[in-house]
Amino acid sequence: MTELYRLRSVTKRYGSNVAVDIDALTIDSGRLYTLTGANGAGKSTLLGILAFLTPPTSGEIFYAGERIDWKSDMVRMRRRKVTLLHQSPYLFGGTVFRNVVYGLKARGIAGDAALRSVGRALETVGLDRFRDRDARELSGGEAQRVAMARALALGPEVLLLDEPLANIDRETAVLLETVISLLPSRGTTVIMTTHDPDPPVGRNVGSIVLEGGKVAAPRISLPA
Amino acid sequence: MDFLVSSFAEALGLIGAFSPDVVDAVRTSLSVAAGATVFAALFGVPVGLAVGLSDSRWKGFAVTVLNTLMAVPTVVVGLFVYGFLSRQGPLGALGLLFTPTAIVIGGTLLASPIVANYTLASVRGADPRILPTALTLGSGRFRAVATLVGEIRFGMFAAVIAGFGRVVAEVGVAMMLGGNIRGYTRTMTTAIALETSKGEFSFGMALGIVLMTVALIVNLFLSLLQRR
Repeated sequence: MTELYRLRSVTKRYGSNVAVDIDALTIDSGRLYTLTGANGAGKSTLLGILAFLTPPTSGEIFYAGERIDWKSDMVRMRRRKVTLLHQSPYLFGGTVFRNVVYGLKARGIAGDAALRSVGRALETVGLDRFRDRDARELSGGEAQRVAMARALALGPEVLLLDEPLANIDRETAVLLETVISLLPSRGTTVIMTTHDPDPPVGRNVGSIVLEGGKVAAPRISLPA
Repeated sequence: MDFLVSSFAEALGLIGAFSPDVVDAVRTSLSVAAGATVFAALFGVPVGLAVGLSDSRWKGFAVTVLNTLMAVPTVVVGLFVYGFLSRQGPLGALGLLFTPTAIVIGGTLLASPIVANYTLASVRGADPRILPTALTLGSGRFRAVATLVGEIRFGMFAAVIAGFGRVVAEVGVAMMLGGNIRGYTRTMTTAIALETSKGEFSFGMALGIVLMTVALIVNLFLSLLQRR
């Protein structure tokens, strides 16, 4: 496996509050990681940094060997390789199709290619018949699946998931677990926050534990 | 009481008969208010967006300035613009004073802070997940802001309609900059002020009814948009 992210002396402060303070952290490509920690441990902040949405206060981040310059257009280009799915995802007004095609349009992908990608992504989450439904009229579980389809349609190198299995029905949770567990075998790096220390999302799962913004105990759970 | 009832009946008659003076005043009012609203939207919406999305330490000051501008009395706006447009003023050579254009300029200054403040309120009230979602899906900053605008478009429309409501109902700017010239710069509000002072109460009431109807329609639109 190759190194995808390398964080060196990364901090993020909000006023006097230190949300994240990481000496060193390496994340390999094509693996699934769980990110755990108590509320306020800095999980969401770290996801924001890894998604290139939240610039750190100090420190260096390397992505695929390249040092990220937060003031250059490079950040936008790197951001297109990483997709963050919030715990309570926001769906834009309009149809499910409009939501799922949004990121493709942002990348200049349209026509048949976009239609195929949207169709495949909706099929993966079992919502292929929901294409023309009003996104605002979906249940919580359906909305979560649309948001997952919206991310999958982009085929990101990295998928960051903030509590993807929280607050959804069991059926949706099982479906999303299956989808998530298959992603690393297709080359997608997945980092998901969870309160479950042993989430049922596959084997060879890396673990990042945050305590007070610091990495507490990186470990790898190997196949039994 | 008889006086009010008979005046009201006479006013309805004037409206129903499409009295040329009433029609002229209504047309002038609506056209200058529409013109001022367009310019106020072009200025106020971007300012409201810029302030709302800014992380600058001057943001609080900018909000205070916008709030203060919203509270400026119409006669002060009229006085300020009059100073520029009067013959001795820096723009006196343009000959704009006592023209509909002068009322549009004053109305624009009056409505812009309202449009900007309502836009700012829309941005502040927007779901905080909109921008991060657009960005993480690959949008650049401009496209992400355009997405935000699309998501809060009803708030934007409300901002523009509130600006129109402010201009169409004001009297100070129209009186000072328009000069209340019959058939040219006489608006509903200035006509009401003049005709009532002349004792033509029913004429003033006719225009008052039309103005109230316009205000009612504007506010119905506003409440409809705010519900969305």
